[in-house]
Amino acid sequence: MFASERIVSAMSCHKENKLVAIVDDDDSVRVTLQELLRSAGFSSQAFESAEKFLGSGQQLETACLITDIRMPGMSGLELQARLNAERCKIPTIFITAHGDEEMRFRALREGAVEFLSKPFDDEVLVESVRAALER
Amino acid sequence: MNSLVETKRPVATAWSFALRYGLALLSVSAALGSSLAFMDFHLPQPFGAFALSAIALTFWYAGTGPGILSAVLSSLIRDYFFEAGIRAGSRVIYDLVFLVFALLMMRVVRGRLDLEQRVAERTAELTRLNDHLKLEIEKQNQIEAELRLSEAYLAEAQRMSHTGSWAWSPPPGDIRYWSEECFRVQGFDPKDGQPPYEAFFQTIHPDDRAQIAEVIDSAVRNKEDFKFDYRIVLPTGEIRYAQSVGHPSLSPSGDLIEYVGTIIDVTERRQAEEERERLREAHADLAHVSRMTTMGELTASLAHEVNQPITAVVNGASTAVRWLTREEPDIAEAREAALGVVRNAKRAADIISRIRSISKKGESKRQSVDVNELIREMITLLRNEANRYSVAIRTDLDADLPQAMADSVQVQQVMMNLIMNSIDAMKEVDQLRELTITSQRGEGRHLLISASDTGKGLPEHQMDQIFDAFFTTKTHGIGLGLRISRSIIESHGGRLWAANNAPRGAIFYFTLPIPVEARD
Repeated sequence: MFASERIVSAMSCHKENKLVAIVDDDDSVRVTLQELLRSAGFSSQAFESAEKFLGSGQQLETACLITDIRMPGMSGLELQARLNAERCKIPTIFITAHGDEEMRFRALREGAVEFLSKPFDDEVLVESVRAALER
Repeated sequence: MNSLVETKRPVATAWSFALRYGLALLSVSAALGSSLAFMDFHLPQPFGAFALSAIALTFWYAGTGPGILSAVLSSLIRDYFFEAGIRAGSRVIYDLVFLVFALLMMRVVRGRLDLEQRVAERTAELTRLNDHLKLEIEKQNQIEAELRLSEAYLAEAQRMSHTGSWAWSPPPGDIRYWSEECFRVQGFDPKDGQPPYEAFFQTIHPDDRAQIAEVIDSAVRNKEDFKFDYRIVLPTGEIRYAQSVGHPSLSPSGDLIEYVGTIIDVTERRQAEEERERLREAHADLAHVSRMTTMGELTASLAHEVNQPITAVVNGASTAVRWLTREEPDIAEAREAALGVVRNAKRAADIISRIRSISKKGESKRQSVDVNELIREMITLLRNEANRYSVAIRTDLDADLPQAMADSVQVQQVMMNLIMNSIDAMKEVDQLRELTITSQRGEGRHLLISASDTGKGLPEHQMDQIFDAFFTTKTHGIGLGLRISRSIIESHGGRLWAANNAPRGAIFYFTLPIPVEARD
């Protein structure tokens, strides 16, 4: 399944739809983040795990990914690595409650556009999303 | 035998008859012989006197029949031998003398026989009374012996149960009865005799006297039972703890006669209770320390668990502000966002309250609890810890599970310990990491809760040692978690045990009793 997705993603990972994807295992964070983005004028789609996001095929349409790092199953960093491996470089904003410097460095090295600690400043997030979408 | 007796009796009677009548013949013959001898020596003829003696003798010893015979014989002998020549008139007078004497003697003999009979009757009566008395005395002795034995048993029972008994006349009366054990408990010497009431009162701890005096006064006034706990100060200064109960005895007219009651020395019981209480406290302290240690290990996860709703709150508040600060503020959207803030702030408060309740140190409180709810709460707190090590938590909870009577904090501590152990056991396993928690009705009136993992499993030959204090297979553990968990479950009347899970991992089970009144 991933093999076929990889082919598709290599062909069409162009993010013209400017969709923002949210991956977080916590309902409340997911829902409020979606609402926050909506109030800032962005449409978004939320997923409760990295696996569900990958399985949805939406990564092909995603212009910006906001993901938690620590989640059951695949972590946010693993998701980033998987997308990079699939040559589907989505501008990614990490949001985590456990951010340490090493993790931050690793994420930014892999192409993350922002690394935010929960709870985060909405302005910073909105600006980061806007920047990502304009890339 | 009977025939022998029957033949013997007539023989005896015949002999007696012969002897008695023989005595008549013999005595009269002796009187005749003596008189003839007197006459040979030319002495005055004494037959009359001798004959009267013979008649008297015969009447006395041989009875009426032989007596009459001796009188008749004497009369004939006198007529024949001594007064053959006298005229008939004089003879009749002599005969009359014998007759009157015989009648007199008959009366004397009858009187004697009556007397003898009365004496015999009285003697028989006295003998009967004497026998009865002996029997009574024997009975009395037996009763006394039984009473002594019973008293000895009672004294022994009082000594063993540290319970003395007493009787006391209401004020200003004195102690009427004071058992041996009362002397011992109150510290009196039995040699000094029954103590006066005032002396008893003086042995009570000064701080307890006023209250006890009030209890007793009130009971006496209302003719009611009383019961009080008090301290006794012994002459050595030692303090003894006692309890006394008293019950009033009333006359038929309802007047108070006396109080009867007991004094129980509860010092040992109280010391044992204090010891148990100290142990309970030590156990609670240890359980608390263990809980806090685990909570310490969980700090990062718990912080994350609280951080999630706080993040949602901040997001919600930011959203509300954005809706309000637009060129055209959208109140409805802002309101929605604000409601979300309230919801999430409550959730954060809930989590903090759960953490606080499990961290607090308090007395063990048993109440009806929904074990499924406790499991869910524990999973909420530990979900992040499980996520951290990519452990999936599955539950299979019986929806119709009856409630259990338990201390929820302690049961959650056990669950926390089992879940943390499972996560620990799966940290280094590369394959599937899954923790499954189930609840169901077990055997008898027990709930059965299990936590199974797919970790490295338990050392086969040390399956029960894992519950020993200071036994650990972890590099960072101190080996008290399972020991404390088992003692918590056992103090609830349940069991905690472990087994290896198939195909790998470990499974821990524990049971909790279902209270009798719990509805199924």
